[in-house]
Amino acid sequence: MGTFHSDKSVLHGITVVVNTNGPKVYVGRCDDEDDVAVILKDADVHEDGQNGKSKAQYVERAAKFGVWKKFDHIAIPRSEVTSISRLGDVKPEPVKAPEPPKVLAAEAPKPADPKTIIALTENAQVEVRRLIAEQNKPGLGLRLGVKGGGCSGFSYKLEFDQKKEGDIVIPVTDFNVYLDRKSTIYLRGISLDFQTGLQGKGFVFNNPNATNTCGCGESFSV
Amino acid sequence: MPYPEELVRPMRLELTSAGVKELKTAAEVDTFMAEKTGTAVLIVNSVCGCAAGGARPGIKLALQSIKPTRVATVFAGQDTEAVAKVRSYMSDIPPSSPSIAVFKDGELVHFVPRHMIEGRDPKTIASELVKAFEANAVAK
Repeated sequence: MGTFHSDKSVLHGITVVVNTNGPKVYVGRCDDEDDVAVILKDADVHEDGQNGKSKAQYVERAAKFGVWKKFDHIAIPRSEVTSISRLGDVKPEPVKAPEPPKVLAAEAPKPADPKTIIALTENAQVEVRRLIAEQNKPGLGLRLGVKGGGCSGFSYKLEFDQKKEGDIVIPVTDFNVYLDRKSTIYLRGISLDFQTGLQGKGFVFNNPNATNTCGCGESFSV
Repeated sequence: MPYPEELVRPMRLELTSAGVKELKTAAEVDTFMAEKTGTAVLIVNSVCGCAAGGARPGIKLALQSIKPTRVATVFAGQDTEAVAKVRSYMSDIPPSSPSIAVFKDGELVHFVPRHMIEGRDPKTIASELVKAFEANAVAK
């Protein structure tokens, strides 16, 4: 199926990955291309290693859900472009939901020291404190969890909530983090950060145990 | 700025004539999303010929094979309040139009972003949607 506009390049209207001979890779909707430049709309750019992700890892993530646009319109000099490919042709590795751990009857789960389960960076603590204060509800804390069966099979949950029966409570200075017991299996060792940067603001989960991270649920916009 | 309604109407009709319910307000979206039982398909329609031009006939084709419990659509760039509300239910996924979301018992189980639609013919879009629906919404 070709382009919808006969006066534009064959990639017009197609979301493409534009790789460059430098550290940058762009993803955006191709408006046009010629010998001078590749023009993208609603585009994002990633630098190799940014947020701990290589170019390939960034593209793989973009292929699952798309990108948050950073530019309405950008022209990339043709001299820097090494390849242009359709994002829709990138085949991301499927992310499988972890199998629920098999617990033998004799192996009752041992109570965990809550403080060893998760950590919040200073930035995350400041932002959580601010958001809780805004809501002005006594007892309100941060609930973290995971849910299976999401769009990639496994995603994080982050919300503000009151303590529920059976929750593991992690005190963090002047507020509490609440975890349901099932989620602690997946959250152990995780740290929650709050990042502000060119790609926008958001909570970011850093999971040292994850072999794959998916776009969905890794970062939550606020 | 929204397109003239007379230009958009045929694009709305293309889906509504196939039994897709149109949601024009945030309240209608909330009502649609509040029903958690069964399978639901939610389509973000768009005027974009490069992608939505193939998506609409592809979806119509797919709906001949799959029978979601509920299927609805919002129109990007036109019904902005409804579209923003839909996106609030998928706030960790970048905005994308056209796009197709598949829910099972209220949980998002599959998402087809614009880049998986554009440049593909309706038959391919339909067949991939049917496959994904059966794998994610029916089989589980």
